[in-house]
Formats: sequence, structure tokens, C-alpha cells
Amino acid sequence: MKRWFAILLAVPASALADAGTEFFESKIRPLLVEQCYECHSAEKTKGGLALDTKTGWEKGGDSGPAILPGKPDESLLIKAVRYHDEDLAMPPKKKGGKLPDSAIAALTEWVKMGAPDPRVAEAKLAGMKAADAKSWWAFQPLPKRDSAPSTAKLDAFIQRELDAHSIKPSTATDRRTLIRRATYDLTGLPPTPKEVEAFVADTSPDAFAKMVERLLASHQYGVQWGRHWLDVVRYADTSGENTDRPLPHAWRYRNWVMDAFNRDMPYDDCVRMQLAGDIVNAEKADNERSAGIVATGYLAIARRFGHDIDKDMHLTFEDVIDNVGKNFLGLTTGCARCHDHKYDPITAADYYALYGIFSSTRFAFPGCEPKGQPRDMVPLIPAAQVEALMKPWRETAAKAEAEKKQRLKNVSADQKAITESAAKSTRLLASSQVGEGKSVDFAAVAGESLSKISVRKGELLQLTVLPNASHGADSTLVEWSIRETGGAGRTWSVADLVQSLTQNNPHSGHDGAAWCFLESTANGPVFLTEKRDAIDGNSALKKWSNGDTPSVFVNSADQQVMVWTTLQAESFFVHPGIKRPVAVAWVSPLDGVVAVTGRVTDVHPAKLDGVAFQLDHIAAPEFGPALVNLGKAANDKAAAVEPAPVIPVAYAVVEGAAINSPLQLRGDPEKPGEEVPRRWLSVFGGAAVPANAGSGRRQLGDWIAQQPIMARVMVNRIWQWHFGSGLVRSPNDFGARGEKPTHPELLDWLASEFVASGYSVKAMHRLIMGTATYQRASAASHTADPDNRLLAHFNRRRLTAEEMRDSLLTASAQLDLTPAEAHPFPAEATWKFTQHGPFNAVYDTTKRSAYLMVQRQRRHPFLSLFDGADPNASTAARQTTTVPTQALYFINDPFFHAQAGAFAASLMKLANDEARSAEAYRILFQRQSSAAERERCRAFLASYPASPQEKWAAYARVLLASNEFMHLD
Amino acid sequence: MKPHSIPRRQFLASAVTGSLLFPGIVQQLLADNADPLAPKQPHFPAKAKRVIFLFMTGGVSHVDTFDPKPALTRDHGKEIKADHPEIKKRPGYERIYLKRPQWEFAKHGQCGTEVSALFQNIAQCVDDIALIRSMHTSHSNHYNATLGMHTGSFAQSRPSIGSWATYGLGTLNRNLPGFVVIAPKQTYAGTQVFASDFLPGAHQGTLVVPGAEPIANVAPRVPASRQQLELAALRQINEEHLASRGTDPLLAARLQTFETAFGMQMAVPDAFDLKQESDATLASYGLQRGQTTGFGWQCLAARRLVERGVRFVELIDTGSSGNWDAHGDMMTHGPLAKNVDQPIAALLRDLKQRGMLDDTLVVWTTEFGRTPFNNTATAKGREHHPWAFSSWFAGGGVKPGIVHGATDEIGLRAVEKPVHVRDFHATILHLMGFDHEKLTYRHAGLDFRLTGVEESHVVKEVLA
Repeated sequence: MKRWFAILLAVPASALADAGTEFFESKIRPLLVEQCYECHSAEKTKGGLALDTKTGWEKGGDSGPAILPGKPDESLLIKAVRYHDEDLAMPPKKKGGKLPDSAIAALTEWVKMGAPDPRVAEAKLAGMKAADAKSWWAFQPLPKRDSAPSTAKLDAFIQRELDAHSIKPSTATDRRTLIRRATYDLTGLPPTPKEVEAFVADTSPDAFAKMVERLLASHQYGVQWGRHWLDVVRYADTSGENTDRPLPHAWRYRNWVMDAFNRDMPYDDCVRMQLAGDIVNAEKADNERSAGIVATGYLAIARRFGHDIDKDMHLTFEDVIDNVGKNFLGLTTGCARCHDHKYDPITAADYYALYGIFSSTRFAFPGCEPKGQPRDMVPLIPAAQVEALMKPWRETAAKAEAEKKQRLKNVSADQKAITESAAKSTRLLASSQVGEGKSVDFAAVAGESLSKISVRKGELLQLTVLPNASHGADSTLVEWSIRETGGAGRTWSVADLVQSLTQNNPHSGHDGAAWCFLESTANGPVFLTEKRDAIDGNSALKKWSNGDTPSVFVNSADQQVMVWTTLQAESFFVHPGIKRPVAVAWVSPLDGVVAVTGRVTDVHPAKLDGVAFQLDHIAAPEFGPALVNLGKAANDKAAAVEPAPVIPVAYAVVEGAAINSPLQLRGDPEKPGEEVPRRWLSVFGGAAVPANAGSGRRQLGDWIAQQPIMARVMVNRIWQWHFGSGLVRSPNDFGARGEKPTHPELLDWLASEFVASGYSVKAMHRLIMGTATYQRASAASHTADPDNRLLAHFNRRRLTAEEMRDSLLTASAQLDLTPAEAHPFPAEATWKFTQHGPFNAVYDTTKRSAYLMVQRQRRHPFLSLFDGADPNASTAARQTTTVPTQALYFINDPFFHAQAGAFAASLMKLANDEARSAEAYRILFQRQSSAAERERCRAFLASYPASPQEKWAAYARVLLASNEFMHLD
Repeated sequence: MKPHSIPRRQFLASAVTGSLLFPGIVQQLLADNADPLAPKQPHFPAKAKRVIFLFMTGGVSHVDTFDPKPALTRDHGKEIKADHPEIKKRPGYERIYLKRPQWEFAKHGQCGTEVSALFQNIAQCVDDIALIRSMHTSHSNHYNATLGMHTGSFAQSRPSIGSWATYGLGTLNRNLPGFVVIAPKQTYAGTQVFASDFLPGAHQGTLVVPGAEPIANVAPRVPASRQQLELAALRQINEEHLASRGTDPLLAARLQTFETAFGMQMAVPDAFDLKQESDATLASYGLQRGQTTGFGWQCLAARRLVERGVRFVELIDTGSSGNWDAHGDMMTHGPLAKNVDQPIAALLRDLKQRGMLDDTLVVWTTEFGRTPFNNTATAKGREHHPWAFSSWFAGGGVKPGIVHGATDEIGLRAVEKPVHVRDFHATILHLMGFDHEKLTYRHAGLDFRLTGVEESHVVKEVLA
């Protein structure tokens, strides 16, 4: 060793380097290129290891530095090629296997020499050369603000490019088309005929500007533009984990977004609020404080994954980081989870710096199968107020619980007495076997005796359904009515229970009657106590049971439901268990004579032996009240304890314990690497989260808001939502793989105006919509510019799914323009969702379609058919697919037919077909019909063989399905 | 209003002239890029022109069906150790014991492939089947494994394999959807299993629920004669609208869809009208005349769909409950196997007899296998098992009568020639003529593919 050192000293350093370099170039480089680069170079870095630069092996892969210069025996690379350790052996067998001994010797020698390696990489920041990252167009400061912004200046940017390509723009569009375009654009709705006529008649120079102001002041503006934003943030009303649980409070964030647009909240504030509104507004007045909390719903609505969502939070954070990047910065930050970004200057360390910020945040927990119900919702009132509300309730509840215990004790003593008295006074009225799939009428087995039964108040009529020997799937339809033969002729029926079954057991019937749902046991009646407001996730099916069976259940929907068998609409069923008969009892409120009718039907034929039933009269007046008491004691949890006071809460986030995250090697949380301090992206300076600043969300909001790219990305979105395409046609990606702006100077000019306006989105609408460019007629594209990138004309577009549905509801005058709030989800306490029975619902509403309940795991059928936003990933621009199943909707869908029918009915109020035709064109197309169109309408009506109203319904369908109705020029 | 059917003659007139309702000019207006479903050529010539994908929901036990393990019977009750995802930290699962299969295995066909008594009918077809006994997957949850088997992704939503197929090949019959899923109930992961996700919406799987109206809004709501009056009026209005606006492929495309939709009202019920089948055919699938539900119905409907040019038909046997998830009792595999065994065998024979098996790929799979062990020696059920399961191919381009890969002696791990779900997908795409690394779609700045970024290989040994 000493001698070697001496020799080293004897040779000039440069000469030594040359010798080393020469060794490298002649022996090592060819070897690496041939044997290793395929999997370990810039193209592909398996195991995180690159061998195409010196830095690559110095840094090493997941297992650490690949080479320790001078120490071959300790260098992983040498260990690998020596093939001693099977897990480490390289190159792999399928890539040629172990290297020849000479090659291994050369590598060993080279490492022993200190691994001289002249391959210095150009300074890189992840996927971009550092110098390129610094000068990347989208990151550059914005130009100085124009002293006098005007629509003319904006038009000049467009005109310059058109001139350069010798393209003549189309002329200004007509006023009817313009008001239709602007009204849909800003509100998602058609203008009324009155609005159209007023605008057409208004010849003042500011007529258009006045109309824009009117639209911007409308509440409907926020609904439409809020919906655009909800697309980008992939808003949904369910959490997306394996049971797709509802998010009953997410609507507050949805409405906050709409409200933010309506109030024209400065966009930079809007960004800060969504990331950290809870912190920014913490010290403000109550309403602002709670609005700040609601805004962070943006983070909370991130998708949850898997069975136990806590185990997959790394995926939820990825979803957040991905969306924050695309949404606010136009950068695909999510791509840096497993490795440095391949194209953009975002390192994996950047990713985990942001990761630490979000993992230091406590997200509201939506519940999941192994962890139960939701928690950590964020109260919208201060803690002291919450406590003031909750304390008295807790005390009452504790008291009620104690009382219940006592009552149960008393009751169990009564049980025996009750059973004995019942046995003595029970009289059989009817009984029968019910064969497979058969139906047995009470009258058929009991005859006349059921038409006159004398009952006393408190006595029972009880129907028991028994399983037979080979108990199978015994869903049994029960139809049963009890009619008072004298007096008021009142009638009680199990049909009365269909819409309210789970209200209570005992269930109060009208006029003082009571219904009891029971298991009939050898020790007497036992109340069914387990209540479900949905079976298999279907909220139309509700039941009482003890365990799975026996049970009493209903299909409360107005249509049949296919589950294990077909359950007909609005019906009442029982299902005995194995050797466990089920009984339904009616407690008489009257002294008098009643007639009983009904039948029992086996509705689940399973090639077994059907069921049996018996109808009894328990003629002991003290029995009914005692039974009801027994039931109340068993089922009175809800009755005894008042519901907890409703604390308004949001699905939102709060600060958690501030803690840095380790890098996760290959994105695997099981393989933690070095800890990464919480900080801003390195390409933007990498500022650290200050000590004691909490998670860093507040800083993150400020950092983002300071970047010129934020303004560029947002004005590009605004432009796109007006014109159909952005100036940058990859609105979520302003990085290396994204598209370059078609009008870079215009984009920068707009972005500066946006900043100067105080980030006013409404100011951008005024600026853009006032231009000649916006007000041009739509036309066929110029051959030199088939995609109309230069905006020689306006882009015709199809209505979005929401606009389409809202337009149909407008035509039928059914649209309810008031804001929606929460969805009618089943009550949280009743949730039993599992991956075998996940939440699944579609809720009808006549509110605006932006309020439709959107599920993550099951697409809304209408929104899915017409290219609605993806609730699982940011939708920067809607697709427009044209498929025949859409046309089927316009031919046969019941909703479509209903709106056309209602529209036709309203037209029928007019005097004659001439007037109807004219009105239809005014309402649907915002124009007068031509003589030819009126003649065609007349001919259609004459040829259509149906009643006048049906003729008009048919014609309404034609008009509502037309391209003119469905497209904006 | 009551639904009415369109008289067959009127429909045929429309279909034959191609444009009873619309003039040819509309067709010319349609640029290729306006039609994502136009038929396309794959990367290289391939046998399989269409796929029938049979998915058994819940996790079929490999050691009770296609993977005989005499050692399990011999060593029944023997304690073993395994670092298994389903028993980690699970109370009561500190100790595990081998559990014997409930069904006997026997050799079948010329090839002598062993199949258990659960699938006596499919066993008669083993000479047409390439059985893979070395399948493995990346997750032990139903949801994730089901999503993985359909999309290659085990957590995030991605396009379904059927969507990739129509994206690559287009479709041959515009009166029917290119990708059809027939399922009596929704399975795990909901509509995501047949979603087009970021691929154009035209590649979305169309869900058919066995029963009266197999596809939404396909049943006419007004009599055909009236409907034709309405559509003719609509055509006139739309044509005039189009003419006054020069050429616009989007307007033209939408105009044309009404013609296709009109045809679908006939073509869809026609495809699902099993009355046209002979008594012998119905009987072979185990169907009563008039029956519109059951797996036999699904299989026969699948044959009729691929016969009519549908590219990819998936059949799901049950839903997210009451399925193969036999934690409690393996004997529940009995009725589930009975539900599918005869229909699947009938489907294979029927395709073969019609000369369609040569260019139709039939895939049979589940999301994962079931553990060869349980936590007591007498436990009746088996747990989720991602480490090993069996799947098979038959038909288009597949080497018949072979067994590929193997599990260890007790069916715990796929040890010989393991085939990951990604390799399985790569192989299916290869059989359809695609290089799985080249069938990509640019989304959010990245080129996505079915097999994802991790390495995957075509299973060459199963190719004919």
C-alpha cells in the first residue's frame, strides 16, 4: 500500500488522470455501454441506478452508491458482477448472464484505480438541463403591464398571426347568435326570448357590455364557471375507496367554488384558500373563518384508495400532489413519485418535500370498511360553541341510557307473563302451505270467517310466516289489509308501511294502531331490532332483522328491483330464517268488527318447498300494550336519546403534526429513503418551510401565488373555457411534454393583465368577450389552419352534458334555479357499506345539473354518456365523443320524452300551430322560423297520425334532438 | 307509452341501402379522425380478431379446479409457515395448516390435462385449452385485484383491456357497440372495470344486464312508422343546418349517429334474440326456450355478438357478493361452477363447430386464487391468494392442449414460469396483433399502455 502511494506521488496528477481515462475509455466505457446502459442510463434507470455518468454511480440506486472508489470488494457493482450474491447478480441471466472473467477483472482493476471517469453530466434538474429549466418559457417573469389594456390590443395579437398566414377572419356574428353564445358561455343556459329581443333591439354602443354585466351578476354564472373548476379539481360526492362511501359534507366545497366565482374572489386568494383557508382565515370573523375551512375541501376531496384507506394514503397524497401541480402550476408533479421527472425539472425529492406538507395535514376521514364511520370532519363553529351544544346533550343521553337499562330489566320480567296470557287466548284464523312460487289468498283457506272478526282495543291480529323443512330463499310477498266494517270504515294495510318501514318497531299506524315486526320463538315474540336503510347498497330496500334473517323488508321504489329475486314496486315482504318464523302483528286501536283480506306469495322460487303461514287472533286486550312496551324497550335507542345536536361540519383539513417525509424509493412507502425537508419546488428556489410554521400549506399557497406560471395557467383556462381550446392546448401541462402557446405574447399579455386586475376572473371575461375575436361568426376552418389555432372564426361546440340537461329542463319549464345543498344520502349511522355491497345511487333532481351527485366508482349514467368530467382525475377539457348510444338517448330516453312532452303541453296553450311553431323556434333557437320551416312543421303535423298534443310532443322531440339545439355557433 | 318493435323488413331496408334516412354525402364528410371506431389494422397479422373474456368474480380456488395438488390431500392438516398478506397481523391466523381439495382430479382429453370434478364439461374441452397454472397478481383485495385484472392498474383508474382492444382495432359492426360487458350485477370496482378512462369515450364498455332491455334506451317508445316520420324530419332539419354551415364533421357525425341508433333498435334485440337458435343449441348451453338470464344466456349472447362483429365481449358471472369468495365454505364453489361449466363448454364447442374458434380468443380468469391453507385444520373455506392461480386461453392463435407453468407442491407459489397479470395482458394483446409496448395513448404528457411501466413479457409458449 505504501509503495503504491509512493508511485502515485511520483507521477504528475494529470498524467495519472490521463492513464486512468485511457483505461476507462479503452476497457470500461465499451463494457458499460454494451452490458449496462440498456437498463441503467438516462433512458431507463432500473433500481434507480444510472451508469452513464459519474454522478450516476456516485449517487447509486436504491441500495446506495454503486462504487466506492479504490474499494472493489466493498463496491456493489463489483459484488454484482461477481455473481456471488443471487439477489444482486448482474447482468441478469436473461440479459446474457455473468460477464466473462476478463471483464470482471477489468472492472475490479478500474475500481481499484479509484474509478477514474471523465463522463461529467451536464448539470440537470431531473428531466431538464439546469440551464433550460432556468430559461423555460412558462417560468419567465411576466412582461410589464400595458398602460391601457383594451380589447383592440387583444385583437391585434390575433390579427398579426392571421396576417402572417394570410388568413382572412370571418365577419362578426349576428346578434342572436351572439347572445346565445354569451349566455351559454357565462351561465350554461339559453337566453329567454325576452332577453334576446331586448338585446337585438338595443342599439346603444354598450349593449353587449351591458349584457355581459347582467350575466356576470347572475347567480347562474357561478354555477357554470364553478363547474369548470370542479372539473379540474376532479370533484366527486363519494370518496372512491373500495366501498365508495358518500361524502355528505363535500357539497359545501362545491358551493364555495361557485360562490367564489360569483364574488369574483381574486384568483390568488382563491388558490391560498383552497390550500390553507383554515390557517389564513383562522383569526377572522366567524363566517370568513368557516369559509376558509370549507375551501380546504379542495384537499379533502382527494381520492381515497383501497380497503383500509390509511394504508394507501401515499396514493391519496399522490393524487393531491398531482392535482396541485396540474391545477395551479400546469406541471405534472405527480410524475416524480417513483423517480425524478423524466422531462421536467421536478425531482423525486421535490415530490417528497410537498408530500411532507400534506402528510403534516389531517384530512377528514370518510370512513372505510375496516375502520368504520367517518370522523375528523371539521366543525364550522368555534370549539367553545360546539361544547356548549354538546354538553347538555351528552348529559341527557347518559340519563336516557340509564333509564333504558332499568326499563329493560322491568320488561324482561313481564315477558313471561305476556307469553303465557297470549298462549291461552290465541285463536287460529287461517293457515296454509304456500308452494314454490305460489300465492295463497287468506279467503281461499279461511272462507267467510275473516269478514267478521270482533276485536277489542289492544288485541292482536298476527301473521306468521314459517320456513319449511328445506329452507331456501324464502322471500315472501305479504299483502294484508284490515278494514273496520262499521264506523268510519277505516283501513289498515301493510302497504301503509312501505315508505316508512324503518321509522320504528313497533311502528305506529294511523288512528292509534301499532304494527310489530317480530321473530316468533318458543319463548314468545322477540322484536326485530336491526335496522337497515339500504340492502346491497340499494336505498329503496329497507329492512328490520335480527341478523340476516328473519326479516321484514320493503321495496319502496316505484319500480321493481332485481336483487336476489325480482321485488315488485312498493311492496312489503318478509323472510323467515332457518327454523325462525317471522311475524307481523297489528295491535287493534278499536273495539269493533273488522274484515281481513290478503294473501301470501313466495316470490323467490328456488326449486325448494316454499313457505307456510298462519293468521292468528290473540284475544287478550292487555297483550297489545304489553307487547308494544316490550318493543319500545328493545328498540327505543333512537326514541329515548334525542339526536345529537347538529354541528355544521365540513369535509376539510386541519393542521396535523408537522413532520418531514422520507423519500420513498421507487414510490414504495415500505422502502423509506432519506428524509426530505418540507420545502418549495427546487426549480422555483426551493425555499424551506420555516420552523414552527406548521405543515407549510400556508407557505405553499404563497409560493404558488408568486409564480408567473400560475397566472399563465389560469388565463389559459379562462381562454379555453371561452373558445374551446387554450392558447396552450395542453392546459394541465406547461412542461416539456406540453404544447407551446400558439400566441405566446398574447398569453403573457393576458397574464399580466390578470395580475394587474387583482386576479379578477370577471375582468378577464370582460376583456376577452369584448373582442372582435370572440364575436366572430363560426365557420368552416381555413385549409391552412384546420384546427383553427389562429382563431379566424369562433369554434362551434356541442353543449356539455350539464348544459344539455339544463336546456331540456328549461324547455320543459321544470328547471329549478335555486342552489342545491346536501344530497339525500342515507343517514351516516345506517351505513354498512362493504366492498361486497358498496354505496350505489343515482338521485333525480330538477336543480341545475352541476349539482348532480357524482360517484367515483360508478359513473353517473347521463354524465358518462355525454362526456361529463372524470371524477377520478383532473379534466382540463371535456371530450366530445359522438356515439350512437347518445342518439338512442334522443330517440327513446324517458327523461327526454318527458321534457319534450312538457314543452309540447306548454305550446298547446297557444292559439294555433302557426303560433306554436314560432314560439318553439324562439325558445329553442333564439330566432324566428322561416316560411319554409313553418311549412315543414305544418306538413309534419299533418302527416303524423296522433292527437294534436302527441303530434306536438313528436315535433318537440325533433327540435330538441336537432343539431341546432345541441350546438353553439 | 308502450315500447314498440320495428318491423324487420323496414330495418333491413335501412341497413341494406345503408342510407334510407341519410344521403351518402354525410358519410363522405366524416373524416377518419371523427370516427374512433373505424376498423384498424393491428401491428402485425394475428389470428384473434375478437375476444370473449370470461371473468369469474371473487377468486376461484386453483387447487380445487385446475391445479391438482396431491400433497395437499396427503399432508392435510399439516402446519406450514408463510409470510402471506392475508394472514399478517390477523388475529387467529398465527398458525396455518394445509387444507385438502374438496374435489377429485382426473386426466382428460388427448393431452391428459388434469381438471377437477367441479368442471366436468370444461374438462371435455382441454384439448382446445392452453392452461396457465402459474398466474400471480399484485394485490390480495378483491377491489384492487379485480381492477388490476381489467386495467393493469391496481389502484388508480385506467382504461379497461376491452377499451384498449377497440382503441387498437376499431369495430366491425356500427350497429352494435365494439365492447360489450354482460353482467347480472356490478362487480368489485364498479364501472371502472369496463371504463375507457382517458381513452376516447367511444371505447367505453357498454353494460348489458341480462333481462328485458339489455342496452339502455334501445326499446322504441313510439311505433316504428311514427319514429320514421320523426327521424326523417330530424334529418331534414339537421341537413339544412349543416348545409348552411359548410362542412363540419362533428355535425355530420352526430347526424349519422341517428341512423346507426335507428339500426341498433333492431340490431341489439336481434343479437339478443335467442329464439332464433335451435333447440339443440339452446339445450347445449343449458337454456330453456324463452330464458333471458343465467350464464348460459350470457355465453350464447356472447357468441351472437362476436358473430356480428363485436370486438370484445366480457362476461362476468356474478356480482360483488354471493360469488366465488369462499371464506366460509369451499362447497359454495359447487353451484357457482355448475352455473358456468356447461355454458362455457358449450360456447367452446359452438365456436369450434362454426369455425369461429380459430379467430376468436376465449379467456377464462378470476382475480386471484385461494389459499391452500387455513387457520385451522378443519376450516371449510379458503382465503384470498394473490401468489398463485389458474387461468386459461382457448382459440385464436393459442397452442391447444398444453399446460404452462406450475405452482409448488402445495399450490402456494407460482414457481415454474410465473405469469403475472401484466404478462397475461401482454399475451392477450399479442394474440390480437399488438406489441403491448407500442399500443400507447398520450395522456397528460405521458404515453400510457395497458401493461404499465413495469416489465412484462408475452408468454411465447402458449402461442400456436
